[in-house]
Amino acid sequence: MTYDICIIGSGAGGSPIAYELSNAGFNVVVLEKGKDYKEEDFNKDELAVCRRDMFTPPLKEEQHVINQRNEDGTVTRFVGSEYSWNFWNGSMVGGSSNLMSGYFHRMKPNDFKLKSVYGNINGANVVDWPISYEDLEPYYAKVEKVVGVSGKIVKHKFSEPRSTLNFPYSPLEVNGVTKWFDSACTKLGYESMPTPRAILPHAALDRDGCSYSNFCGSYGCATGAKGSARAALLQKCSAKIITEAFVYKLDSNDKKVTHAHYYDRDKTSHVISAKIFVLAAQAIESSRLLLNSKNKNFPNGLANNSGQVGKNLIFSAGGAGEGRFTFENLSEEQQKELIQAGLFINRSLQDWYDYEKGGKKYKGGTIDFLFEHANIISRAKREFYNDEGKLIWGEELQKKIYKTLTTSRVLTFEVFNDWLPTDYCFVSVDAEVKDKFNMPVGVINLYGHPHDIKVGTHLAKKAVKVLQVMGATEISMSISSSPPPNLVAGGCRFGENSEMSVLDRNCKAHELDNLYVTDASFMPTGGSVPYTWTIYANSFRVAEHLLSVLS
Amino acid sequence: MFLNSRRTFLKSTFLTTAVIVMSGTELFGAVSPLQTISAVHEDLFPYAKKLGINSASYLKLILNHSRITEREKAFLRNGVQWLNEEAVLQYKQTYTKLSASQRQNILQIISKERWGENWINAMLTYIMEATLGDPIYRANKNGAGWTWLHHTSGLPRPTKVFL
Repeated sequence: MTYDICIIGSGAGGSPIAYELSNAGFNVVVLEKGKDYKEEDFNKDELAVCRRDMFTPPLKEEQHVINQRNEDGTVTRFVGSEYSWNFWNGSMVGGSSNLMSGYFHRMKPNDFKLKSVYGNINGANVVDWPISYEDLEPYYAKVEKVVGVSGKIVKHKFSEPRSTLNFPYSPLEVNGVTKWFDSACTKLGYESMPTPRAILPHAALDRDGCSYSNFCGSYGCATGAKGSARAALLQKCSAKIITEAFVYKLDSNDKKVTHAHYYDRDKTSHVISAKIFVLAAQAIESSRLLLNSKNKNFPNGLANNSGQVGKNLIFSAGGAGEGRFTFENLSEEQQKELIQAGLFINRSLQDWYDYEKGGKKYKGGTIDFLFEHANIISRAKREFYNDEGKLIWGEELQKKIYKTLTTSRVLTFEVFNDWLPTDYCFVSVDAEVKDKFNMPVGVINLYGHPHDIKVGTHLAKKAVKVLQVMGATEISMSISSSPPPNLVAGGCRFGENSEMSVLDRNCKAHELDNLYVTDASFMPTGGSVPYTWTIYANSFRVAEHLLSVLS
Repeated sequence: MFLNSRRTFLKSTFLTTAVIVMSGTELFGAVSPLQTISAVHEDLFPYAKKLGINSASYLKLILNHSRITEREKAFLRNGVQWLNEEAVLQYKQTYTKLSASQRQNILQIISKERWGENWINAMLTYIMEATLGDPIYRANKNGAGWTWLHHTSGLPRPTKVFL
């Protein structure tokens, strides 16, 4: 049979299309590499989920090669399985949206016109988007309602325009420490804002509300409160989902993709025919599939006669920091507030989304504040070294673990700023290393522009001030060019110029009539926020376009 | 079938097959990896035993785990050999035959070597996994490790182990 739509990948990029098109009566098939998990399959087993990586492939079977560009221009090659370094996030129905923390911020109007507003930066391929914030705003609003975003609008100097007054769901409950945070911000003249979350505070949308389990990020949500693509969309539509289906090649003629070939768990090959193909396998894998799908019409990879596939890979730049609050510096009431498990901090700062320094205008970013992850094994592991950096054991270690874990808590922050796209950061495929299906693995060619560090450091210093005023100790920050594997975009940027981009404004390949890419690959720049809300919103936008095409 | 049987055999004997210990270029003797690791675990974190947690036994489960690489397993076993060779070098005895203070001295010596620091770190990590992992893995019995740290587990808890 020929499907109306074949979607490759079931995460945030593919699911809105599956949801909209199947609910409109079209025949949709979704090919997902991972297994199907439902609410009842999720639990808080730290050993399985976080230490044995049960939701990502074993690296001996599927891996990446990483080419890291050094300061002197040389490149160091890392075969992922030898260094336990990988960029997998969640191979499962719903993809890594199952495992996200759901910190949801919209991009702001200036994020769509970085080049026009902030100008060129040497060594960076900064461009404006072919669409504006106004084009995407209705779909951000749609995600709030359909996926479910909770929060409270507090106006600040970089508030983005909204078509609705407030979020459709009230904010999640917060820990008492949030008061300390707000008070510190008031003293500093900072504008504390509640962090919007893709988490339902109460039962709605045929899903249960948040159970405040204290184990959110990295774990699947057992109540369905988290707005994963699976819970919010795929479980609410009739799209056919084929699991454990690894798509290894797309066939095409000179105008259209004709077939998707996939291997099942037994490595038996199958073929799917469809009128329209939507690729949403997450940024690195989408580029890899196109590059591995060469044919006589596209000798450099599908949709790649421009040579742009895989180029301008980006991550979220920035880093993280933290401060510790210890009982000995707190009143009894404060100690109770600090140690109360389950409730969120849910506070962000965007005061420096745009700032001036030395007479120059900079694009800044977002700072989210949250408690250190509750995983107890990883928290105990942090205590293996004493203040002199010496490995300790025995009674000394036992006492250190006990004191730290029972009488203190760490408040962390995460900085999100633009990872500038460059010629040196891109996806390719490896000539030697293959996966268990005998397909060339993806190569992540890594390079972070020095400008990213400058901006990230500026933001992190502001966050450190908040921790200082709050009375934290052991304050530290780390801003680097280390790429966060779960915040990856680009590789198939959209744009008006077919020689400088892979996709058009509707995320259709310039060179093919029926191929769309709707994961974060399309993003030419990433904004200074986590990507998931924008991926969802854009996918709903493309879904509307596809409805008009098929109708 | 043969391969499966052989693999199963290798796994089950990983900790029980003797490790050869050299003294310089000469054969000194052989030690049981399980005995050495049991002693090391008690020396590194004796409190686990007080909590009723057998972390060395947990390591048997780890060595059969689908997600632990052959490289990691080989490192654990090689560490047993190198630790004993250091013991022989210092005291002319294998690790388990040393006094408590001599064993601590050996741990201090190897912790200054890169491999030794990594090996002790790995051992401590598995001890913490045993002590603080979900009781379904049968090491953290009755959640004794969690009780020690006043830890409330996330819910729902697992109903089956992931191996």
